[in-house]
Amino acid sequence: MSRSLLRFLLGRVVGLVLVLLVTSFVVFSAVHLAPGDPVSFLMRGRPVTPEARAALTAQYHLDEPFLNQYFMWLGDVLGGDFGRSVQFRQDVGDLVAQKLPITAFLVVYAMVLVTVVGLALGILSALRPGLVDKLVLAWTGTSIAIPSYIAATVLTSVFAVKLGWFPLYGAGEGFTDRLWHLTLPAVALALTFAGLLARVTRSAMLDELSREHVEVARSRGVPEGQVIVRHVLRNALGPIVTVVGTMVAGMLVATSIVETAFSVKGVGSLLVNSVTVKDFPVVQALTLLVVAAFLVANLVVDLLQPLIDPRLALGGDEK
Amino acid sequence: MLRTAALAAVAALVAAGCSGGGGDNSSGSGAAFDVTIDTPAAKGPLDKVKWSLYAEPQTLDYAYAFDFPINTVLANVCENLLRVTPDLKISPGLASKYTNPDPLTWVYTLREGVKFHDGTPMAAKDVVASLTRHADPEVGSSYSTVFKDVASITETGPLEVTIKLTRPNVLLNEQLSASPGIVESADFLAKAGKDYGNPQGGVNCTGPFSLEEWKPGTSITLKKNDAYWDSTLAPKTSELEFVFIQDPSARANALLTGEVDGGYLLPTTSFDKLHASDGKLYFGAITGSYSAAVTNLKGALGDRRVRQALSMAIDRDGMVQAALNGYGAPAKAPVPAAGWATVPAERAQTIHNSLPAITQDPAAAKKLVEEAGADGKKVVVATSNLAPEISVAANAIQAAGKEIGLDVELRTIAPDAYTALFTDPATREGIDVLVTSGYDMTPDPLEFYAALQTGEFANYGNWSNPEYDQLVKEALGTTDPAARAELTVKLQEIALRELPGIPLWDSPMSLYLGKRVTGVTPNITHLSYPWAATLGSAN
Repeated sequence: MSRSLLRFLLGRVVGLVLVLLVTSFVVFSAVHLAPGDPVSFLMRGRPVTPEARAALTAQYHLDEPFLNQYFMWLGDVLGGDFGRSVQFRQDVGDLVAQKLPITAFLVVYAMVLVTVVGLALGILSALRPGLVDKLVLAWTGTSIAIPSYIAATVLTSVFAVKLGWFPLYGAGEGFTDRLWHLTLPAVALALTFAGLLARVTRSAMLDELSREHVEVARSRGVPEGQVIVRHVLRNALGPIVTVVGTMVAGMLVATSIVETAFSVKGVGSLLVNSVTVKDFPVVQALTLLVVAAFLVANLVVDLLQPLIDPRLALGGDEK
Repeated sequence: MLRTAALAAVAALVAAGCSGGGGDNSSGSGAAFDVTIDTPAAKGPLDKVKWSLYAEPQTLDYAYAFDFPINTVLANVCENLLRVTPDLKISPGLASKYTNPDPLTWVYTLREGVKFHDGTPMAAKDVVASLTRHADPEVGSSYSTVFKDVASITETGPLEVTIKLTRPNVLLNEQLSASPGIVESADFLAKAGKDYGNPQGGVNCTGPFSLEEWKPGTSITLKKNDAYWDSTLAPKTSELEFVFIQDPSARANALLTGEVDGGYLLPTTSFDKLHASDGKLYFGAITGSYSAAVTNLKGALGDRRVRQALSMAIDRDGMVQAALNGYGAPAKAPVPAAGWATVPAERAQTIHNSLPAITQDPAAAKKLVEEAGADGKKVVVATSNLAPEISVAANAIQAAGKEIGLDVELRTIAPDAYTALFTDPATREGIDVLVTSGYDMTPDPLEFYAALQTGEFANYGNWSNPEYDQLVKEALGTTDPAARAELTVKLQEIALRELPGIPLWDSPMSLYLGKRVTGVTPNITHLSYPWAATLGSAN
């Protein structure tokens, strides 16, 4: 068992590295193919002497052939050096280290909201057909349809400006202050995802509720609470966990919109900004980060699945 | 001259007004506004003031200090050899005295007893290290071209620096009153190395405030410098915290709720709300105007008559109303009266008043186009949602062109690519007209007009006029400000006759002060003058 687990993990890690390699190459090419020269963006409309242009071009290895640039970058990354941001003139590692805690906090916070609200509404909706179900469906439909930037505007004007309960911008310091600062952004971020999760939970639960084993359990006189928890929810967890796993990566990407709207300077707003000014090293590092987060989240989901449903062996596809 | 830097900034400030829901874009009536030099003096000290910036500075390295956020902060931390005061006069700064023994030599005598924030004394070697850094191609300074006529910068005494030029250039001296003239400790520069000016490396200058802490993504905090040399500008505020609020409506809201005490460059769409609040909205002068640069003189606009016709057909009043809610005025020249502060104000006003107003006359314009045989010829105008006023201007130019028989096409450019249009001539290919804005670093209008010489960077259309070039050369060698201004008047005449750029409008700098604070200048000089030194309590 542990040997197969080891083999499974090893396989996944190799896969992860391969996917990261391929993505890094695709992103590198994409950024390079897009028109425009980073040095021009760097100078932001200021005059630049030909010597200075040449020096900057050499400094960022922009004068090397494309493949050389890629391999130089790759070599540095393997050595732990992600390069230097063209626009911030800081090491990318430092830059990301400054911003990542904010985004991580925001994503975890939003994820907690999504899980609690999404699960609760989904379960409620599945167990109370009729009016409650209709209301929840209407609400989830709306929340899925509301773009996060609209939610951001509405939340700000009501809870920050009119009522003054929450701050208007920034990420705060220390745990409680940060919690307070990031509440509105987390809610804006969580809305759509919570709606989705509620829908998934609802249908997974309904699916299980109509299964034979539930009927059997009930006819045997198992208390209803236990039926729901042990036989319905437990079996419905499979799709729910899978969806939550994919949401983590989706959320990392969605932070770009929410962070911009709330003036929270995290990784999301950094990514958007870096793409537009062609700050190659930052775009590369952040893309890899998002892809890695996605892969790791998936890996965790895969590791959890057999625990939820022992019928699913690890690497079941080998059969 | 900072044409596009300003544009990018103005962009950010008005721009995202669109994302903010814009419900406050009300009537925009006649919008009467007064331009002032100062706000009421502070009545007392304050422990802490929170100030808004529309973006976080990317660095605090003075070599890249060419945008509103960084300059607004750095003006209080790092000082220049010379200083431009809020009334737009060049006065001594870290150099107590400067002489110009011959047209190619400038000698600066440094102030005694000035200390950097780390306590070390300022000396000539620091000035030499700070200024020569701009010429280092490895640094890629935004101001490298300011120093293009410099032969050498040398220490000629413990407190004396001599700059030798390869040709007369009075502008270099004047520009030492802005970021190109910032003095940083030579030892600190060497020690910080490539981390200089970033959140880890920091800066170590001589200004009334020192950099206390830079929390990336959150805030930049300045602390009062108790050892500041200039007792007339001893700071009244102990701690000044800058916060970064990108979204214009969020910024306006933060000011309205009092969460932030003040800020420059407010979204025009929020002016009416800010006017009605318990704080005060002020307007200050900017030394530049908006204009439509003609970037291609080989196409339809190569004929002067067509450029004149286009200028005559534009509805400038409509533009001011649509782009600025009425907070502005049609421009008569590329540099407004405020940009002529090297001569007495009355003279500047007379010069400006003697300019003919550009009257809208589509019928005469259409005739000119026909005379030039340009009827139906194509003109491409770049537009972008970088800032709403860019698209307003582009649309108005298109309407004007169509009315007089030109075939005007709008080409939409991505916001960041739009600013790159100014740096990289290759990206301007196929574009005839580009909307630009900006301000001069110095109060000398020659700064703008010299940038229209043959081959200069900001001469986007490669316009060339031998008479003009000769006059610029003469003006650059004229040390007497009045005589230089008269030469600049001639340059202005030629520029308005030949129209390498079409003047559009003048708009003011905006400043909001919450009810707690007062005492800072609303005008453009806050980008290099230690404006926060006089900031204090309003009560």
